Amino acid sequence: MSAPLRPAIVERSRPGRLLVPALAILVGMLVLASIACGYAAFDVSAAFADWLAGRNTLPALVLSELRIPRALLGALVGFSLGLTGAVMQGYLRNPLADPGILGISSAAALGAVIVFYSGMAGALSLALPLGGIAGAAGAALAINLLAMRGTGTLGLILAGVGLSSLAGALTALALNFAPNPYAALEIVFWLMGSLTDRSMDHVWLCLPLMLVGWLLMLSTGRALDALSLGEDTAASLGFDLVSVRLRIVTGAALAVGSGVAVSGAIGFVGLVVPHLVRPLVGARPSASLLPSGFAGAALVLVADIAVRLLPTRPELKLGVVTALVGAPFLIGLLFHHRGRG
Amino acid sequence: MRNLALLSAATLAACLAAGIVAAAEAPLPAHPVRVVSMNLCADELVLRLADRDQIAAVTWLARDPRGSSVFAEAAGVPLTRGLSEEVIALKPDLVIAGAFTTRSAVGMLKRIGMPMLELGLPGDFEGVRAQIRTVAKALGHPDRGEALVADLDRGLETVAAAPRPLRALVMRPNGFTVAPGSLGDAVIRAAGLVNVAAEIGRDRSGQVPLEAAAFAEADLIVLDDSGSGTPSLADALLHHPVLEQLRREGRTVSIPNRLWNCPGSQVAEVVKRLAKAARERTVLQ
Repeated sequence: MSAPLRPAIVERSRPGRLLVPALAILVGMLVLASIACGYAAFDVSAAFADWLAGRNTLPALVLSELRIPRALLGALVGFSLGLTGAVMQGYLRNPLADPGILGISSAAALGAVIVFYSGMAGALSLALPLGGIAGAAGAALAINLLAMRGTGTLGLILAGVGLSSLAGALTALALNFAPNPYAALEIVFWLMGSLTDRSMDHVWLCLPLMLVGWLLMLSTGRALDALSLGEDTAASLGFDLVSVRLRIVTGAALAVGSGVAVSGAIGFVGLVVPHLVRPLVGARPSASLLPSGFAGAALVLVADIAVRLLPTRPELKLGVVTALVGAPFLIGLLFHHRGRG
Repeated sequence: MRNLALLSAATLAACLAAGIVAAAEAPLPAHPVRVVSMNLCADELVLRLADRDQIAAVTWLARDPRGSSVFAEAAGVPLTRGLSEEVIALKPDLVIAGAFTTRSAVGMLKRIGMPMLELGLPGDFEGVRAQIRTVAKALGHPDRGEALVADLDRGLETVAAAPRPLRALVMRPNGFTVAPGSLGDAVIRAAGLVNVAAEIGRDRSGQVPLEAAAFAEADLIVLDDSGSGTPSLADALLHHPVLEQLRREGRTVSIPNRLWNCPGSQVAEVVKRLAKAARERTVLQ
């Protein structure tokens, strides 16, 4: 039954086909640039040789426990945010959807904060990403229910703003209740995000959960294409919408929740990158998923390199840089759509 | 009627004038009986030097076993959070505050003529001695001040300085270090060590990036291992795998932050522990 549609779905323009490998190479290069960039000068290639040979030298230690995890986390968190943004925009048919704007990131931060400062994460380190995932899942479910009730584009965004503010306030409350005197000051990390002084432990904590989340979301590509013709059409084409919704909510919660748990909430990445890749791949949601993931990774890596190169000390939070790019972008989008509407 | 108006105007003027004079130089009583301390370092000196019934209140920080060297002495003493309202309600006849903390409350208390003693941050042992004496005199117990100064000097005299000028770097939660020219720096030098913070990059707030700390070639990284038992990102930094590796190599020494958060005789203990750690490290090398 979907056979007549197939040619339209499969056909790809030439730049679209080359885009994913090109972006993947860009991300690889940015990972290397991120590894090369830091606060102490040392011979990175020698350190790499030491590390591979298992020599426990100081440069090898700094490379393997500071530089590499920081670069990997930038790529992983960025990929998660970009991919989730593209999936959400396709699924909600809403060009303003983004895990940050919809409140999913803030809710993930709230979940992670409750788990971390109550000491649960000290007892079981996996509790930290699970806390973030629980928070993200709650917000994603709420947004999904609103969307199913037929809330419009701006209504959903406003609901997300409300959810974001609520989660932010509850995060502040939780931090003020935390017994450690430093906790209250750490809200900036959770609301703005940072990759400073993370370690390989954080990578191993979030990587498997993120991978599952990515696969779940990527599996919905063809359903998203069908959904762009309307829910009834998608259902008549044989897509099980309940399963699609479940995969999207679970996938977004796993990818964003575990990312926020180790990096804090980094805003606007998921909003910006689908719009950047769409001119290259066309309006079909499935075509923008992988490119958005890689572009998100590239954006976060660039932002994280920028905060280290900028002469501001203490280092700027990542969310500051992404908001400096993303907030004007959001305003521009609003004007654009108003002009069209 | 007109006379009355004139009189009240004159009274008002006189009161204002008196208020201004009081604000400029509220005289300190010779034997204060209701002392309120608004700063942790003032708490430590007040709790060591005053009679218990002289103390109207100290700050809530005094009871934190991690930050305060007098947490045991502070048990049972009323606490404030250093807010002007709390302090006024206690009707103190002497307020001791820090020169850099709770500034708006201190300004308000000064304006209403509260007798106020403000303590700076001494950068050397001579400054510590002077501050102990100032507070002891203000509390009406100059003899106890001399005894505390003698304690400090005895402590410093008995220290055998490190055999070699090893390089030390202090890492506190969030990567804060001990700035050159501070009392902590004087403590490190008194132990015969070199404070590496003087040569490596610190940001404006005094934080050292973990990478810079790792490559600082410090023989001893000084941190507080005691832990609070409650998690924070600030404390988690001190358990980063990079520092854990240096810890396994025996390159860290744990000294409770409460011993040198504030000027007082207890800093001699830090000099002693640093010198001891340096001797052990020299033997290892």
